[in-house]
Amino acid sequence: MRNKRGWFAVPYVVWMALFVVIPILIMAVYAVTTADPATGELQLTGANFTGMGVYLNVFLRSFWLAVVATLVCLLIGYPVSYWMAKEGPRFQRLAMALIMLPMWMNFLLRTYSWMSILENNGLLNQLFRAIGLLDLLGVDYLHMIGTPGAVVLGMVYNYLPFMILPIYSVIVKLDGSLIEAARDLGADGVRVFRRVIFPLSLPGILSGVTMVFVPSVSTFAISSLLGGGKQTMLGDLIELQFLGGAYNPHLGAAISMVMMVIVVVCMVVMNHFGEGEEQAVML
Amino acid sequence: MRQSNRIGGRIFIGLTFLFLYLPIFLLIIFSFNAGESSAVWQGFSLDWYAALFRNRLIMESLYTTLLVSLLATVVATAAGTFAAIGLYALSKRKRDALLVVNDIPMMNADIVTGVSLCLFFVAFFQGWGAFARWFNGVQGVVALPERLVLGFTTMLLAHIAFDIPYVILNVAPKLRQMDRNLVDAAQDLGCTWMQAFWRVILPEIKPGIVSGALIAFTMSIDDFVISYFTAGSSTSTLAMRIYSMTKKRITPEVNAVSTLLFLSVLALLVLNNVREIRQERRAASLEPRAPTLLEKLSMKFNQPAYRWVRRGLAGAMACAFLVVVVLLTGATGSQPVVNVCSWGEYIDESLIEQFEDETGIRVNYQTAESNEALYSLLKSGGADYDVIVPSDYMISQLLEEGMLEELDYSRIPNFELIDRRFRNLPYDPENKYTVPYTWGTLGLIYNANMVEEEPVSWGALYDDQYAGDVLLINNSRDALAAALLHLGYSVNTTDEEEIREAFALIADASRRGVFQGKVMDQVFQKMEGGNAALAAYYAGDYLSMLDNQADGVDLRYVIPEEGANWFVDAMCVLKDTPHYDEALEWINFIASTDANLANMDYIWYASPNTEALERYPAYYEELYGEELDPELYEIMAAPPEVLERCEMYSVLPPETRALYNELWIRLGA
Amino acid sequence: MSKELIRLRDCVMSYGDELVLDHINLYINDKEFLTLLGPSGCGKTTTLRMIGGFLSPTSGDVLFDGVRINHVPPHQRAVNTVFQRYALFPHLNVFENVAFGLRIPKADAGGRKVKLPEREIQERVMEMLSVVNLKGFEKRPVSALSGGQQQRVAIARALVNRPRVLLLDEPLGALDMRLRKDMQNELKRIQQEMEITFIYVTHDQEEALAMSDTVVVMDGGRIQQIGTPEDIYNEPKNAFVADFIGESNIIDGIMRADGVVEIFNRKFQCLDKGFDKDEPVDVVIRPEDVDIVDEAAGQLKGTVTSVTFKGVHYDTIVDFYGFKWLIQTTDFCPVDSRIGIKIDPDGIHVMKKSAYSGMFGDYSSYSEEYEELDVVEDESQEGEGDDPWEDGYEE
Repeated sequence: MRNKRGWFAVPYVVWMALFVVIPILIMAVYAVTTADPATGELQLTGANFTGMGVYLNVFLRSFWLAVVATLVCLLIGYPVSYWMAKEGPRFQRLAMALIMLPMWMNFLLRTYSWMSILENNGLLNQLFRAIGLLDLLGVDYLHMIGTPGAVVLGMVYNYLPFMILPIYSVIVKLDGSLIEAARDLGADGVRVFRRVIFPLSLPGILSGVTMVFVPSVSTFAISSLLGGGKQTMLGDLIELQFLGGAYNPHLGAAISMVMMVIVVVCMVVMNHFGEGEEQAVML
Repeated sequence: MRQSNRIGGRIFIGLTFLFLYLPIFLLIIFSFNAGESSAVWQGFSLDWYAALFRNRLIMESLYTTLLVSLLATVVATAAGTFAAIGLYALSKRKRDALLVVNDIPMMNADIVTGVSLCLFFVAFFQGWGAFARWFNGVQGVVALPERLVLGFTTMLLAHIAFDIPYVILNVAPKLRQMDRNLVDAAQDLGCTWMQAFWRVILPEIKPGIVSGALIAFTMSIDDFVISYFTAGSSTSTLAMRIYSMTKKRITPEVNAVSTLLFLSVLALLVLNNVREIRQERRAASLEPRAPTLLEKLSMKFNQPAYRWVRRGLAGAMACAFLVVVVLLTGATGSQPVVNVCSWGEYIDESLIEQFEDETGIRVNYQTAESNEALYSLLKSGGADYDVIVPSDYMISQLLEEGMLEELDYSRIPNFELIDRRFRNLPYDPENKYTVPYTWGTLGLIYNANMVEEEPVSWGALYDDQYAGDVLLINNSRDALAAALLHLGYSVNTTDEEEIREAFALIADASRRGVFQGKVMDQVFQKMEGGNAALAAYYAGDYLSMLDNQADGVDLRYVIPEEGANWFVDAMCVLKDTPHYDEALEWINFIASTDANLANMDYIWYASPNTEALERYPAYYEELYGEELDPELYEIMAAPPEVLERCEMYSVLPPETRALYNELWIRLGA
Repeated sequence: MSKELIRLRDCVMSYGDELVLDHINLYINDKEFLTLLGPSGCGKTTTLRMIGGFLSPTSGDVLFDGVRINHVPPHQRAVNTVFQRYALFPHLNVFENVAFGLRIPKADAGGRKVKLPEREIQERVMEMLSVVNLKGFEKRPVSALSGGQQQRVAIARALVNRPRVLLLDEPLGALDMRLRKDMQNELKRIQQEMEITFIYVTHDQEEALAMSDTVVVMDGGRIQQIGTPEDIYNEPKNAFVADFIGESNIIDGIMRADGVVEIFNRKFQCLDKGFDKDEPVDVVIRPEDVDIVDEAAGQLKGTVTSVTFKGVHYDTIVDFYGFKWLIQTTDFCPVDSRIGIKIDPDGIHVMKKSAYSGMFGDYSSYSEEYEELDVVEDESQEGEGDDPWEDGYEE
């Protein structure tokens, strides 16, 4: 009967064309044109791309911070997922709920809350002062806000669940008999992990990495809140071209295009290694 | 596993959760704070919860958030489910190709999705406008709206667009797992395809649909970036409202609303967990047991005889939902409206209610971050404002580009109350377009407890001795003005060398780590909390900070010896506004002496209304029972001798503006 | 037999270039037990689905009681199906699964949708559950049943609607050997009790022979032979049928005269007539029709290359002039011994040459796993459909 139901997909195909494909094409058109300031007519140009060299630093910083944040997420997320998968089902369910729960509180608010913690006169510095750490170091406060570290912290904080969930869902489905088989064949705990568990959880890691990396590299609110506006990132740069101070949608579209291409390339490379994306989002 | 390992693991998990929940606990705790600070505990109170329900802006945005998420979830779930079924009826090759497209919105960075949709809508609106004009021109029966703008509908479309892929992703595996013979079997047993769908397919893929809907709803609620780019100016979700607040100071009402949302989700999760555990126990102990009352009821309810009850209930719920939607959208649709865009905390909000009560016109009050951001919003077609309050130089620029409408002053009798000093200013020499809103100076704000000696020069902003304690104003015009003044140049210079020199001064200081950050309205929270020592900002805002400064903070304001900028923010009406009459009413209302007094008291910016300016000290005394410090009054309304030392911005030629932009962006790069 | 019920006339089914059914002509009588037998991909399931209404033929007609029903949807046909792997509804219990068809409102004579009264549903379901020996299981979830029980639910679910024809698509494929034997008897019993037509699809020739009134052997989208089980076994029409039904040695021969066929340059008596003189033919010799005798007394002489004990008999592979035969005998002959064989005239069956000539009937590569391999292959084909929507209509 399936041929007859094919038309069910037609509205969807139209919809996707309209709201996914065409917008990207329009963005591409914007990226390769510029508006004549006098007449408003579009003119073909490559200047949007060639002129991007000025922002090389922004690109580098974005990628660098996103890579660091992704690595930190992995370093925290993997052990958490691993140990969680070893617990009983009730613990697991509770932990899963607790990991998902923060998503229901707006990320801007949570990030803003970090601001009040990290400020020069914020809660953390107050704590340090109270326990005498600041006197010990001979400073008035530890400078935390407005540093790249604060931005990375914000990203790790916001995107850590996206790392834990896919890794956990892969590890928890690992066939216990595989581990027994490995032990039976003489592998000790470390070897079992290195030779069996880790390779098998790779799909989860890969999807976790993409799910953290993509939003990290494109964030704009986190960097403006915790980075004090000094750690301009790709997202800030794009926002600036559309709704911020420097109105130039053509340049913004060009930067978006470049970012999209880079992300897609990363994704293709990742997918080349394994497919876990689907499982991860399916949770 | 070994016991020690397990304990270690639990500690690690515990610490991670602490990390995840620490900021949330803080938010919740401070939502019960008696004071306004989010760092200092001033006693328990529920005031913010009470204030929350009175705060229209937050409640409106909460309602928008819930409505858009619900609608998007419902539509996306239905559409996604059918699309998934359709997809599985296609050949593998076609399906795989479509699934790649399906992945795009999920893989793409939110900002790219948002930007592309925004450009798409704007392009569509342009095309539509041309079509509608032609269509209305050739026939007179149906009048199509010629001007479409970003708003709730576009945001809803965007939400549906990014929700559908998640639904498909959750439904597809269930379809795949389903024995395809089930549908055949149902048809074989006498079902039409539709009956088979309701009786077999739907129950089979229900878990997928439910989890798809849940994820879609979560994504919608949590989304900020895509809404930000597609909602335009007149609609705000909670996230957008919060974002505009983070620019200034987050009011604890937001903490309260988030706490409520958070706790309700928590309650749902706990309930669900308890139910699951119960079910598991029941499954584990297979022994038969008497059904509970609830189960008896639900069994009874499930009997075919009670189908009409179920149908009725479902129908009633659907109807109720529809009615609510229609009522709420209808109620807001028929009323006369005026869309106002101003700056953050730049009005006494009770004036809005007062105006609405008096005139029956609904005020849709929005804020922009800076003149430049407002300009971007207007240019991108994302804004459907009627009244805006730009500063002098931006007014010139907007006038140059023909974006403002002439005002009918016969309908703004209160214009007569505006002081002569603030009429016919260079930005509007014949005064045909503007009614001044406030005026003031840009000066140096410092925390006397954090500086060695009182700064008298703009140079303090670039001084190494304050490294890490200086806030750079995140607005190219003001930031460069300070540097230009320090170098002895005019704030309106078009000389590229001078501008580059001024820029180099800033860039150099930035490189040396003098600046703690580039901020706009965050300056409040930073200066008030003693987190920074120095900032260039506006006089009125300095006075607001004084009200809120923390213990051990002593804020002062000075017009540096090199002179400063003085500005006028004036109300203008955008060209071709559909609410011209309402806009004039609003302007006239705001220009009145009473409104000016209320505003002056609330925002501490000087009024251009002669009467209000004169009467303010008396008004203050009457209100607070104490005399207004004349020094503060002078800071607010700078006396003529001070104004003489100040220069007003004039509009810069496009090349210079481009240079400003380029240099400014490079500063962050 | 009684009157004709279903007829397929010149039915062709093709997907693009792929021809799945090639001009099928077939009639099925009322109350008949007919089996469609063939290997994977032979078109038997497609034929069944065409009768069930899940597919319409690309060309040709499907007639039911003389009425053309090509485009009548499945829910309007007086036909019910027992699906491969049963297709029980996992969200319903045993009772509700069986009651499913009864709960669908049916149009009455006046075109109004009417529902069966709950009491009648109750009665009919319980009655049917007792026919399939599942009384007392009504409230069980179907997932808690064994394979055999699920099978019975599937049958009850189809039969409760009182169809004129029951279609069974490899219904016993997922059961183990013993259960399968039991269910064969059970199905036969139910068919006789209910007095309706069964159309049964299987790739298991033993099953087909044991249960059917009529067997239709199919391959490559064509009907190879229609007949009673005895006909099919004893008088296969071509090398494919001979090989597919039971074990066969198929040897090239030349018809020298009526009743005389030459194999390995030796003349043998046979019962077949009507071939041209000196016509090349395929000769089928069933393994059990060969008698082993002393080498000297044998019509043919060969060397034993392998012997396998099978319980009732030995499978003995004998090399005759480079061609290996399978002989099933109760006599044990050690490997490498020289033996002779005798074949009675009625043990020799002569067939016309066909496209299948030379493809079957040589036991050179015989191994004990032969049969098992066949089965495993079949299952793996079914199992690989992780995505049941994935592959075509035909397993």
